[in-house]
Amino acid sequence: MYSLELNKVIEEIKRQNAKQVLIQLPDGLKTRAGEIADFIEKNTNAKAFVWLSSCFGACDLPLGLDILKIDLMIQFGHNRYWKTERW
Amino acid sequence: MTRIIFVDSKWEGDLTLGDKVIKYLKDKKIKSLALFASVQFVHFDKVIEQIKELGIEVKLTKAKRTSQIGQILGCDAYHDSFQEPIIKESDAIMYIGDGLFHPKALLLSQIKEKEIKPVLQWNPMSKKFSILTKKDIEPEVKRKIRNLKLFVNAKTIGILVTIKPGQQYFNSAKRLKEHLENQGKKAYIFIDDTLKLNELENYPFIEAWVNTACPRIGTDDILNTNKALLNLREAGNPIKELGELNNHEK
Repeated sequence: MYSLELNKVIEEIKRQNAKQVLIQLPDGLKTRAGEIADFIEKNTNAKAFVWLSSCFGACDLPLGLDILKIDLMIQFGHNRYWKTERW
Repeated sequence: MTRIIFVDSKWEGDLTLGDKVIKYLKDKKIKSLALFASVQFVHFDKVIEQIKELGIEVKLTKAKRTSQIGQILGCDAYHDSFQEPIIKESDAIMYIGDGLFHPKALLLSQIKEKEIKPVLQWNPMSKKFSILTKKDIEPEVKRKIRNLKLFVNAKTIGILVTIKPGQQYFNSAKRLKEHLENQGKKAYIFIDDTLKLNELENYPFIEAWVNTACPRIGTDDILNTNKALLNLREAGNPIKELGELNNHEK
């Protein structure tokens, strides 16, 4: 079983006072989307939403979330990525 | 502005090598081992202890795009993806984790070497030990060579750019377009979010495509399309690239 560190997630949502949160999951964790969204909504005042499709890595973040007023995006299954310049 | 956090979702189960792996390392008289894992398994202290107990030197490095020593990403698939050349300097390479995407990167990073060392894979979830060899990337290498040849002779090129921030190389695409046009080719830049290769069918006037996004598109996904598609890194000097890959084939 993979650790989802939901208590840390809750702390971070509260610390940032996020009102709308988007969860992005790699395919292997997508089955747990409902469980994560429910936990967030039960333990914080934030509304939780789920990114439907791709989550190839930390290199693959959804754009345009400002338009929906998403305060916080939580990507599971990856860590910080350092883009390298090429060519 | 939307803020972003990452939860790396560590594996919480047993993270020790099985007897089969230990026996293999002993039988093969391995003296040094380059160790890698995906982020879920990179807390592999017990594995390091087990290997050291066998008298084997464990070599670790940081892949340039990752956050943790020992961690590998799918895009770390080039000889210069790592801070230290531990793959070259070790008797064996080991990957801890599941799937084929990451361990294949370790094979692909050796694509231009005369000898491609196998990758030993221990999957802590299924407790399965497997060995990936040069054969596992042969279809990709063959297709790469075919695509490079088609690209060299193509007159009209399509350059693919993604808007995904971590994979966006718009400026590189514009530089490549200029470079290709200086060579007498015509190049167009196509922009999308997730690059779906079936979309390429809508542009039959394009003879060859260059992907500037995830380098695994021009390595793994090329097996899923007949279109001549290659990566940005190969498009700058395709003749040199062909020479180096042919060297591997001998």
